[in-house]
Amino acid sequence: MTTNLQKLAMLAAVAAFAVLPVFLKSYGVYLCTLFCVYLMATFGLNLTVGYAGQMSLGQAAFLGIGAYIAAIGLKFGLPFLIVLPMAAVACFAVGLALGFPALRVQHHYLAFATLGFNILVYLLMRNEEKVTGGTFGISNIPRPSILGISFDGTLPFFWFTLFFTLVVIGVLWWLLSSPWGRAFAALRDNPIRAESLGVNITAYTLLAFAIGAACAGVAGTFFATLVQFIEPAPFHFSWSLMMLLAVIVGGSGRFLGPVLGTVIIVLLPEWLRFMQNWYLAVFGFAVVALMIWLPGGLLSIPERFFAKEGAK
Amino acid sequence: MTTRPSFLEVKDVRKAYGAIKAVDGVSLSVGPGEIVGVIGPNGSGKTTLFNSILGQIKPTSGNVEFCGEDITGMSPLELSRRGVGRTFQTLQVFTHLTVRDNLIAAAQEFKGTLGGRLFAKNDAGLGHHADEMIELFRLKHVAHLKAGTLSYGQQKLIDIAMAFMPAPRLVLLDEPCAGVNPSLVDQLHDRLVELNKTQGGSFVVIEHNMDFIMKLCPHVLCMVEGKVLAEGPPAEVQANRQVLEAYLGN
Repeated sequence: MTTNLQKLAMLAAVAAFAVLPVFLKSYGVYLCTLFCVYLMATFGLNLTVGYAGQMSLGQAAFLGIGAYIAAIGLKFGLPFLIVLPMAAVACFAVGLALGFPALRVQHHYLAFATLGFNILVYLLMRNEEKVTGGTFGISNIPRPSILGISFDGTLPFFWFTLFFTLVVIGVLWWLLSSPWGRAFAALRDNPIRAESLGVNITAYTLLAFAIGAACAGVAGTFFATLVQFIEPAPFHFSWSLMMLLAVIVGGSGRFLGPVLGTVIIVLLPEWLRFMQNWYLAVFGFAVVALMIWLPGGLLSIPERFFAKEGAK
Repeated sequence: MTTRPSFLEVKDVRKAYGAIKAVDGVSLSVGPGEIVGVIGPNGSGKTTLFNSILGQIKPTSGNVEFCGEDITGMSPLELSRRGVGRTFQTLQVFTHLTVRDNLIAAAQEFKGTLGGRLFAKNDAGLGHHADEMIELFRLKHVAHLKAGTLSYGQQKLIDIAMAFMPAPRLVLLDEPCAGVNPSLVDQLHDRLVELNKTQGGSFVVIEHNMDFIMKLCPHVLCMVEGKVLAEGPPAEVQANRQVLEAYLGN
């Protein structure tokens, strides 16, 4: 259970993060907003992979589906608050469909099934020029404006995105604190036993994919309105790998794991840019080192520390 | 032969893997509140019989009735909804959940609907019942620990306690004493007797520990090479010459 002190610390961290961009240049604000966008997607993926134990290498595809629905919808003149649930519901439905292979195959076979899905979606985005603009993409995507309040500026848009990120995280917290969270964990730990105890593994497997996908769909909507120009590259399967990396590096199945993991995939490469040509090599080395020494993710450090203290 | 009221009725169940007959025409009946033991050497088809009854595998022929309903080939999920529980030969706990959460997870899916559980309290209203079960199985000192961090014997107790959490009408226990130290075996016997009294469910128990099964089960069935070799009160089965030759020895 979260103690009051932990709750206070989390509130303080959120408040500090909300204020931080005031002191940053526009690129810094952009990075903070991008961090929020990927947080929504990685929190969703953590539910699918970390809590329910269903391997997925297709999260970037859902991010892309959400982004394209938002881009097309907003360019068409639909209000943001209509486009947002449209993207979430569409990704939920596609996620539900992608969950069906998980009922037949598991682990690396499932990883390849979802990877294939990501490649398929990527090819559709690249080749269906009439709808997606192909490699030329869709430009001039408007920023949201709600009840006459425009979120066009970098700072208002950051706060707007942060608000929705907190909503997504709050919904997932509520969901995982309900008996559903325990059922997802049962599905992950031992599906055969879970089924013999009445856990509807078909329903929970499909829901794990669908909810994770819906989170990425919401993230995609914010991605499109953040960059205001989308093309297929950010939805390549390599970004699914990066998001999976974020979940694992942060601590798969730990609620706040994606926060640290997303820092690693979004912010760390930026901080390492001063190394110029070496930065990707150092980034890669840092990830390898983390996987070797902290297979339980960054959030497993306190547990390991206390286990060592207890052994003394 | 005495006639016992039927609750679970297994009729001429067969399961073949190619030319190998794992279960070869086994019939078995279990009455309400009755505890039936199944003994036999390794490879005699006991677990295959369990898996055929419990929907883990589909029998080649024969049928299984529970409370008058044909449940042959039903999925474990459908069977659990009808009040049929089980334990497995190997440990099957949720290693990353605490002991208390393991017990709650074992029964929460029987409370309300899938949608309703999303809005339910975290313990689905089962906290008190889980605490009672923890008390019954003497697991209070480890209730807050993750099941995967506990000893084999403790996990075995959790495993069995989980099967009883939803108060099933019928429980099939596959080698509950395997790998459990002798002091825990006695404890396990007492817990099962108590649960049989309080919950009133029927048990079918596969076990190699003869003292345990003879003490627990008023009716025993011995399987050898997929067939029932002898059936009856424990003392009778234990004294059966064919059972002595094929399984128990002199």
